[in-house]
Amino acid sequence: MKKLIFALGIIFVTASVQQSFAQCNTEKHVEACIPKLQSGFTFLKSYNIDGQGGAKDKVEYSYVFTKGATYQVMICNEGSGTDGIVLTLYDSNRNKVASTKYEGSTLSSIAFPCQVTGIYYITFTFEGSSNYCGGSVLGFKR
Amino acid sequence: MKNILLGLLAILTVLSSCDSKKKPSADEISGVLDSVKIEEPSISEDVISDIIQQIPSPLEISTLLKESETKYDKEYLNDPEKISDYNSNYKKALALGVYGTDLGYTNIYEQNQDALFYLNSIKSLADDLSIGQFFDIGTIKRLATNSKNLDSLLLITTKNFNNINNYLQEQKRSNLSILLLSGGWLEALYIVSRVSEKNPDNEELKETIAEQKVIMDNVVLLMSFYKDNDPNIKQLSDRFTKLQEEFNKIEIKTVYREPTYEVVDGMLVVKDNSTSEIIMKDENIESIRNQVYEIRKNIIN
Repeated sequence: MKKLIFALGIIFVTASVQQSFAQCNTEKHVEACIPKLQSGFTFLKSYNIDGQGGAKDKVEYSYVFTKGATYQVMICNEGSGTDGIVLTLYDSNRNKVASTKYEGSTLSSIAFPCQVTGIYYITFTFEGSSNYCGGSVLGFKR
Repeated sequence: MKNILLGLLAILTVLSSCDSKKKPSADEISGVLDSVKIEEPSISEDVISDIIQQIPSPLEISTLLKESETKYDKEYLNDPEKISDYNSNYKKALALGVYGTDLGYTNIYEQNQDALFYLNSIKSLADDLSIGQFFDIGTIKRLATNSKNLDSLLLITTKNFNNINNYLQEQKRSNLSILLLSGGWLEALYIVSRVSEKNPDNEELKETIAEQKVIMDNVVLLMSFYKDNDPNIKQLSDRFTKLQEEFNKIEIKTVYREPTYEVVDGMLVVKDNSTSEIIMKDENIESIRNQVYEIRKNIIN
């Protein structure tokens, strides 16, 4: 009987640990982010930034950017700052195109007028983040 | 003690079966996936999802057409009344992608009355594929009947298609997602091909067609994960592979140069100093166009 109670205890603990990861409500952040896209940009994609409480140190997505279009990528999370979430954009050869960590400050948005069509990698890392949680949106204009 | 244990088990069972969003289960979906029901792909769903994420929205091409002052032409689009022709789930998934692009095109050109026809067809196909819950047709129709709501309509429909794709991938049904995206991408390529044919001197349109080479490679790659187990995807994949051979005759040369930056209103604005050159002949574009017309005819009929 003790073993059974112990097993159930384990199940409860596991469930509560999963629950704590599930507390990152990325959808809420994404919804808040969409209206913040600059005027003239059309919403294209949303990205969940869930660092699972620090268990993940990087969240990465990729997208084919097209020459002639300008893309805006924006980070949203709890409060006004970026909570240590850093967005870095790489081209198809993994050359760094831009990072929101720029000249000592961490910005929340990048505008990228693309000159070369290709796959670009959108990477989110956490630097001293307290929530490891946020959302991001991608918009474009011609 | 037994009662306590039974109670705990009951709570666990209820908790594990709870889901705040009432969506059909994977089993329910697989029940309707007659012709697209396939075995597990040999590669992980995460890898497939990553590649699917890369495929750009067909909206980008529609926007390009509008910005280049190309007139709206309903003739380019698939007839929204044709849904009864799509009698297998394979055809329905492809047609859903095609209609999704057509809807985006009507949205971009602010043709809200036409958009309503596509919305009805999309809702019907989505219901048949058990993904109709993503379309609150009442709200969408209300937005569509007022041209001032164009931004909201565009936003909602874009979000819906993104949500459908994410949902299908979560449900381990990326094969449907691939069909939806392939249909949508091909339709955008079809529209730009038709417009380019009418405007043979427009180099930007030809370049747009040529640049689809990057996406073509992704689409063929995605299909390759399923073609061995699904005869429908095999057939489609063969056609796309033939089209890819035409794209392979085009060369895209890129030169990387360090970008420069400035901060404007708290946003980092990048100046991309890299350049690219597309090496192609008119006959390459013509061959691509012809094949696109042929594949599209096969998809919509």
